[in-house]
Amino acid sequence: MTLATQDDAARAGGFANKMRVLLSVSELGVLVAVIAISLIFYSIAPAFLSAQNIRAIINFVSFVGIIAIGQTVLLIGGEFDLSVGSIAGLSACVTAMLMKDAHLPIFVAIIGGLLLGAAVGLVNGLVVVKLKIPAFIQTLGMLFIGQGLIQVVTGGNPVYPLPESVGNFGATRVIFGLGWSFIFFFIAGLIADFVLRRTVLGRNLYATGGNVEVARLVGINASLYKICAFVFVSVMASISGMFVMADLASGITSIGTGWELTVIAGVVVGGVSLFGGAGTIVGGLLGMLLLQVIQSGLVVIGVGANWQQIAVGTIMVLAVGLDLLRRRVFIGGEGAPSGNGPDAAVAVDPPAIVPAAAAD
Amino acid sequence: MSDETAIRTIGIAKSFAGVPALRGVDFSVRRGEIHALLGQNGAGKSTLVKILNGVHRAGSYKGSILLGDKDVSFRSPLAARAEGVGYVPQEIEVLEQLSVAENVFAGHTGLGRGVLLNRRLLNKRTEALFAELGLAINPRSLVAMLTAAQRHLVMIARALSMRPKVLMLDEPTASLSGAEVDQLFAVLRRLKAQGTTMIYITHRLPEVMAICDRATILRDGRVVAEIDRADFNEERIIYAMSGQKLQRLYPHHAAPTQSEVLLSVRDLSVEGRIGVHRRISGINFEVRAGEILGLVGLLGSGRTEILHAIYGRIPCSGNVKVANHDGPIRSISDARRAGIALLTEDRKRDGLLFNLPVGGNITIGNLEKFAHHQLVSRTNESKAVVQAMRALNVKARSPQASVAHLSGGNQQKLLFARVLMNGPRVLLLDEPTKGVDAATRHEIYRLITELADKGVALVIVASELEEVIGLSDRCVVVADGRQVDEFQRGERDEEQVLRIIAAAQAELTGQTALRTGVAT
Repeated sequence: MTLATQDDAARAGGFANKMRVLLSVSELGVLVAVIAISLIFYSIAPAFLSAQNIRAIINFVSFVGIIAIGQTVLLIGGEFDLSVGSIAGLSACVTAMLMKDAHLPIFVAIIGGLLLGAAVGLVNGLVVVKLKIPAFIQTLGMLFIGQGLIQVVTGGNPVYPLPESVGNFGATRVIFGLGWSFIFFFIAGLIADFVLRRTVLGRNLYATGGNVEVARLVGINASLYKICAFVFVSVMASISGMFVMADLASGITSIGTGWELTVIAGVVVGGVSLFGGAGTIVGGLLGMLLLQVIQSGLVVIGVGANWQQIAVGTIMVLAVGLDLLRRRVFIGGEGAPSGNGPDAAVAVDPPAIVPAAAAD
Repeated sequence: MSDETAIRTIGIAKSFAGVPALRGVDFSVRRGEIHALLGQNGAGKSTLVKILNGVHRAGSYKGSILLGDKDVSFRSPLAARAEGVGYVPQEIEVLEQLSVAENVFAGHTGLGRGVLLNRRLLNKRTEALFAELGLAINPRSLVAMLTAAQRHLVMIARALSMRPKVLMLDEPTASLSGAEVDQLFAVLRRLKAQGTTMIYITHRLPEVMAICDRATILRDGRVVAEIDRADFNEERIIYAMSGQKLQRLYPHHAAPTQSEVLLSVRDLSVEGRIGVHRRISGINFEVRAGEILGLVGLLGSGRTEILHAIYGRIPCSGNVKVANHDGPIRSISDARRAGIALLTEDRKRDGLLFNLPVGGNITIGNLEKFAHHQLVSRTNESKAVVQAMRALNVKARSPQASVAHLSGGNQQKLLFARVLMNGPRVLLLDEPTKGVDAATRHEIYRLITELADKGVALVIVASELEEVIGLSDRCVVVADGRQVDEFQRGERDEEQVLRIIAAAQAELTGQTALRTGVAT
């Protein structure tokens, strides 16, 4: 570090602090965005804020939001899971088959689906943590494996009909015309938020995602935390898949398809860091809501489906850009004043990577 | 060798955050010589090297650099290389999945037609270069297949491929075995015979005696001696390196003689892993309650590995026992249960959690203290944080402030607060005063002696010999992963310790270096 940059850093201090204050309340920013965008859509097409449309948005957010809770927990622990959509579909289909073909009691079939989800999550966690295969590869692989298994076990056909009570459960409207999935989503979200903010478990998870070496050094069993987070997100995906199954009153093979990216995009928009250790449940779920509001709004005002995808993609990149900026400001990067002594200064530039002009 | 100057610096001065690292260095290297740059850790070697190879940009320091007769200033390492200052870093930095030739010419352009690479030309040029160096490495083989020594030679070839006017070698033998050192020295002698000017940065005296023509010794950011080969003499060099430093005052501390042995280490050994940690073997010591034990050794001597092995962070064999704790210590949680705490050397890499605020950084790992059924009590936690911050004088705007913007000294005190939170009986401190200002340094010294007075057993590692000798009641000297000496407070000074280390190193590398000397 040079003297010049230290002076710059000192001068930039006031600005950086302001930025930090602004960025650190990311949940509020997302909430403001949700409200503002809703109002814009409303002014173009008042049908956007009709009770029916709001219900549809919240209904979908409940399904994917159940997974988003798990994904947020896993991301905070420093890993992520691309196979959640497949797990949701696989659990839904297997649970449906246990009811219909194996004639098991509904309760037992549900336990079976949850155990399947937990087992997949355990495999993901063990492979990533113990075999040190990157989560990206392991869970991408699991995404394909899950899709393949869905086709194998169902033969590609919807599992139908299910016991009547399952369909009735799915059709029950508990509050404001919203079903049990919303109730579960809401309560699970509250619990997860509380656990992350207020318990030893939650704090240790943040530490694990922030810097796994430091977490180990202070005596946290970081590997166990990560594996449990993988199992948790998988179980949440299974539950979500089963709610969709009940909603449709059948086990359809396309349940969960493409949800992995919807979920990750949503929580990242809500300020959950892809690099671990940062984010909140409230933020992640507001991000999910924001993306859904935008997609739904574009439908209501009559924009084509392809443009919706473009919008979602753009917003996700912007959100990750914001996340990186936030990290840079927090961690201080180059501009941070550091009290390092002479020997702790800048690392030597690796010669091999930098292209140089040829010697004569 | 001629009297012409290849490179010289005039009045180079540089400070970091107000702490001077170099205070006007006049350093000159004659054309065609191997010039040793010597000094203890913290003497200013690395800073000078980083100025010469452009890492510290022109304008960030005072003074000037003359390359031949030309006044040069480097905007970047790239510029330094283009002007003719080659640099071979201490760590091996190669592209493992590329061939030797591709590694040697990485970063060159114009080795083919347009964007296409002409492999034949590349291999031929590499062969020619290797022939000059007397190397028998196949340019086509993958670098992943090479030994550490061969990789180092590839890095030297890479630096030479730029046809530098001066070649800087930073601790070139740090990762080499005795025979490999021979091989390296043979290449260096050959280069010298061809007229290459080299700067050899090291703290291993036997190597200086074996291969260098002249030596410049830095201490406290100044040149304290410039010695010709004819006047080489270990005594003289060691005296210049240690000398009379700025006298620091250490708080008075007398170790209790009859207190309980809290930590006992028997036959501690660690298998080495290249690039991860060094091999250590046969380490034995005891630390009593209230005693400060210094682990004295140079960088890379294995002192950090000893602390990590005791803390259960790296797998080791041998026996670590803590009084009143039964059972072996095989993991970090065992160590913590036994009452051992470790303060790591690198705050950024394995100390601070940048995603948590000041308060969360202090309490992490000890949250159970403030929790009832997993639920953290905010009142109790913030009370403990405020208390710890006050006790250790951590200056932060609030417990919610970000740790990234604290000064180095405050970051270090924050980490002390963390390791002290669960009242350790054995405290391992790796470089407790690294990168902190003078005032904090004294606070830390006081803290260390206070902890000892309260009956904590402390083990300290520090780069500055004078510091660890001044603080410790007893010192264990390590060199190349072995325990070579032990002494009580006042029995040895810095100079004697340096001599003991040099002698131990000579046993390993010195003899082989001597052999090469006879062979060529």
